[in-house]
Amino acid sequence: MFDAILLFREALYGTLVIALACSVLGVYVVLRRIVFVGAALAQLSSAGIALALWLSGQGMILWLADRPIALALLLTLAGVVFFASGSSRGRIPPDATIGVTYAVAAAVGILLIAKAAHGEAHDIFLQGNILGITRADTLILLATAIPVLLAHALFYKEFLFVSFDRETARTLGFNVDFWNLFLYLTLGLVIAFAMQFAGVMLVFNFLVLPAVTGLLVSRSMGGTFMWSIISALVAAVIGFSVSVPLDLPSGPAIIAVSGVLAVVAFLIRLLQRR
Amino acid sequence: MTQLVSFENATLGYGRRVVLSDLTFSIPEGDFLGIVGPNGAGKTTILRAILKTLRPLAGIVRHAPNLRYGYVPQRDQVDYSFPLKVVDVVMMGRYDRIGLGRRPGESDRDAARASLAHVGIADLADHPLNALSGGQKQRTLIARALVGKPNVLILDEPTNGMDLVATTQILSLVRELHERDGLTVLMVSHALNEVANYVERIALVMNGGFRIGTVDEIMSSSVLSDMYRIPVDVDSVNGHRIVVARRNPDGDDIAHDGRRPVPHTHAAASETAVPGHEVDV
Repeated sequence: MFDAILLFREALYGTLVIALACSVLGVYVVLRRIVFVGAALAQLSSAGIALALWLSGQGMILWLADRPIALALLLTLAGVVFFASGSSRGRIPPDATIGVTYAVAAAVGILLIAKAAHGEAHDIFLQGNILGITRADTLILLATAIPVLLAHALFYKEFLFVSFDRETARTLGFNVDFWNLFLYLTLGLVIAFAMQFAGVMLVFNFLVLPAVTGLLVSRSMGGTFMWSIISALVAAVIGFSVSVPLDLPSGPAIIAVSGVLAVVAFLIRLLQRR
Repeated sequence: MTQLVSFENATLGYGRRVVLSDLTFSIPEGDFLGIVGPNGAGKTTILRAILKTLRPLAGIVRHAPNLRYGYVPQRDQVDYSFPLKVVDVVMMGRYDRIGLGRRPGESDRDAARASLAHVGIADLADHPLNALSGGQKQRTLIARALVGKPNVLILDEPTNGMDLVATTQILSLVRELHERDGLTVLMVSHALNEVANYVERIALVMNGGFRIGTVDEIMSSSVLSDMYRIPVDVDSVNGHRIVVARRNPDGDDIAHDGRRPVPHTHAAASETAVPGHEVDV
């Protein structure tokens, strides 16, 4: 088992970077009740990858075949601006707008992949393939995650205030729209890069389940971040370690472990109340 | 007396939608003003203009230099799912002083604890915010507003959803802060019967109209009947003013202009045997 893990250690390192970045941002995603914004952004990112592959398959903008992240980033950041500016449009409630974005982006992604050259082979971009993560990929992920995490460490106070009580933050002179957009941008960046390797389902898992585990275990913001990170990293290591020797898909295995950890956290919470 | 905020023929609204027009009034230092009206009348719009988060569509809103507000939002604007301690929430009132990218220090923590003691809940400093009662949460938000050493304390519907005991305690605390600390206080509420017995001046906002004056000036049958557009009586029970709408013999309340008034749902804090029924403002 250990040999098998060693064989894919670069993939594990990359997965741990994704788990770390998503689990930090996930605390805001869960507390701000924008879980489905995260899902919609992940789908937009996958639609961007599909669009890049379709365009290059049609002989247009050939370099996109090697760098589908360009269109993934473009669509995700467009989504970020849209959602950060308040996705409610007239009589349409915000969650309906998010639902429309999610459904259309998912369908468009599948349709484009179906018509892209070697479409079946490219399905992997939508579903993710963490075992295929290389050292170069991990370095790209680190180059995204480190600035994002530094920004979150540096501007924790600002992100917390505008998330917790935006009206009061505004009266104290905080540029709430700017900080909201900044927060969403960090989310969009991490999702767009993580999506290439981990796929929609695993990215969504890392954004939600570890944060839920953290909130169940801890009663402070610091503790919530800590347990969110720990549970994401533990789920990644255990899921990876179990899936490789047993020849199971790694993404679902990691998600299953995340689910078990969330249930354990729930039981701990129940015991604490007694 | 120094005027802290002055509205000069100000028209307020959002985009092309005018909410209130031609407002002219001032808020002097040391004032204790209740801004009262039904939901949607424009109270929050006035509040936003005072807080400088809304620019007037026309006219001028002047603010005294170095004015610092302590803002207490409506309780439901705050997200209680955040796992925050009471003292951490109060420290937020000093975030603008701490500087970009810096964390609160020991002096901020001490100031937050002092502010909690000031509003009578020093012992709750390390409790989780979401474990507090409605009245304790409101005291926490007031402590947060005070920790920044404001010139003006602004409270938006501070007693919304509270029972009679908590309402009385919060309003008494606010009055005490005004009298003891000389703090200028603006309190927005839809409940005239509650506010009228605590503040010194009242601004009535309703039906597109605006009237401001001392409590004695506003709490008169003629002024209130004119504003509500239904016959209204002002009674006194044990020194407390109670506003009641006059009931017609056939049971319907008809406006002066013959229209039925829009029914309101609020039940005021004071339950009395005064004939007629209370008016929701």
